Amino acid sequence: MFYARNPIPFNGVFHINDLSGEARLDESTLIRHAANGDAAAWEPLVLAHQEAVFRLAYLILGDPDDAADAAQEAFLRAWNHIQSFDPTRPLRPWLLSIVTNLARNRYRSAGRYLAALTRGFRNEPAPANIEEKSAQHLEASELWKAVQTLNMPDQQIVYLRYFLDLSVTETAEVLQVAEGTVKSRLSRALERLRGIIQQEFPVLAERREGHEGRDA
Amino acid sequence: MNALEQELFEKRLVSIATGLDYPRTPDIAGSVMARLRPATRSRFLSRRLTWSLTIILILFSSLMLIPPARAAIIEFIQIGVVRIFGTEPTPPVPIEEIPSTMMPVTATPVPTLPSLIPMLENLAGEMTLEEAQQTVDYPILLPSYPPDLGQPDRIFVQDADGDMTVLVWVDPQQPDEVLMSLHFLPAGSWAIKKIEPTFIQETTVSRQRAIWAIGPYPIRLYNGDLQFMRLIDGHVLIWADGDITYRLETDLGLEEAIKIAESLEPIR
Repeated sequence: MFYARNPIPFNGVFHINDLSGEARLDESTLIRHAANGDAAAWEPLVLAHQEAVFRLAYLILGDPDDAADAAQEAFLRAWNHIQSFDPTRPLRPWLLSIVTNLARNRYRSAGRYLAALTRGFRNEPAPANIEEKSAQHLEASELWKAVQTLNMPDQQIVYLRYFLDLSVTETAEVLQVAEGTVKSRLSRALERLRGIIQQEFPVLAERREGHEGRDA
Repeated sequence: MNALEQELFEKRLVSIATGLDYPRTPDIAGSVMARLRPATRSRFLSRRLTWSLTIILILFSSLMLIPPARAAIIEFIQIGVVRIFGTEPTPPVPIEEIPSTMMPVTATPVPTLPSLIPMLENLAGEMTLEEAQQTVDYPILLPSYPPDLGQPDRIFVQDADGDMTVLVWVDPQQPDEVLMSLHFLPAGSWAIKKIEPTFIQETTVSRQRAIWAIGPYPIRLYNGDLQFMRLIDGHVLIWADGDITYRLETDLGLEEAIKIAESLEPIR
């Protein structure tokens, strides 16, 4: 195992080590490097968070190409404004906040809408492909469709809390609201989602009721 | 919905949502860095390098975001203890051929050189070449090419379930900048997994199969429960000879890197 002469205590996010795993740099140190214009420090931060950023963009936009563009743009914007970011704060909520705004703007743009329609027509999956998906994937896909019927603020909070599995605190940071606000918004969004599931996604509703019965 | 119902519903949502089949995350870091970095590369021993030596990133947070199935979805190429995951081997493309749309577009000043090299100062395991040779149980070899290369400026021996040796040559004009590094990975040490290098190509070193990877690209190191990610912005030649896997990091071209690799000799 590698060891450090002066290891920085683990900060709960991740560490970056140098050549041999020593001289650990935590996220805040890397952010400071990046704020000083050091692009090499920005790259591991992108690597650490690109999956979450891409996935959130994908959930909002529903298209992997659009999501990749939005994620890339989010990291470039974050780099351009990294000097104004407080390095003592975790980076991920800030990045997710940026990509949320970018994805929402893209979603609203007419060009994106038409492009999505075109892609949807071109890439409509064959029924056989759907059948090949596992029941779990299908169920998740149905849930995603149900969530997409919610308004965008409800979608965002559901994606952050249940699809990306962020804590209430992290969700509050992304949305830049108080934790209490997150809880109340979640409660309302869940009520609406449950109603939609019961009316339009009976398979999910049946499974949910069965699940609740077992748990109870 | 009362509190209990909401809690159960939330659990159910999380349970279902984890099954969502996301598209594979593209190489966003590569795209972002291509737009941040200058596209020109320097010459060995004459200009500044454009790569930092090594960074190892422990991705505790992202581990939770990676579905277990993702770890086993792609093919890999293995040389010694090094395993490279990614796409089919692709011929290298000169940096000059990168489309202009990939050039830096931000107004933010970007230094021509990453500057994480000072971390070398914090490394443990530094010793003299003689001490290193006494520590490890395999012969430490030195390149005799280029003729003016000389002995490494910094030598580190680290315990990676096997004594890994790292030789570092720095720019004589700027000692905080690394020109080249050579890693010796004995059998049984950590499996090093590189993922998605920009371009990889099979080649040979002394008629032994070798891999040439053009960066920048991340590398994952696995050791027990810990997952590390190493990031190198440069090119890497990997080959094995007996129980030792060698990694030569440089921004030189393939031919020069092979010449260096084939010039390794025991310490005189």
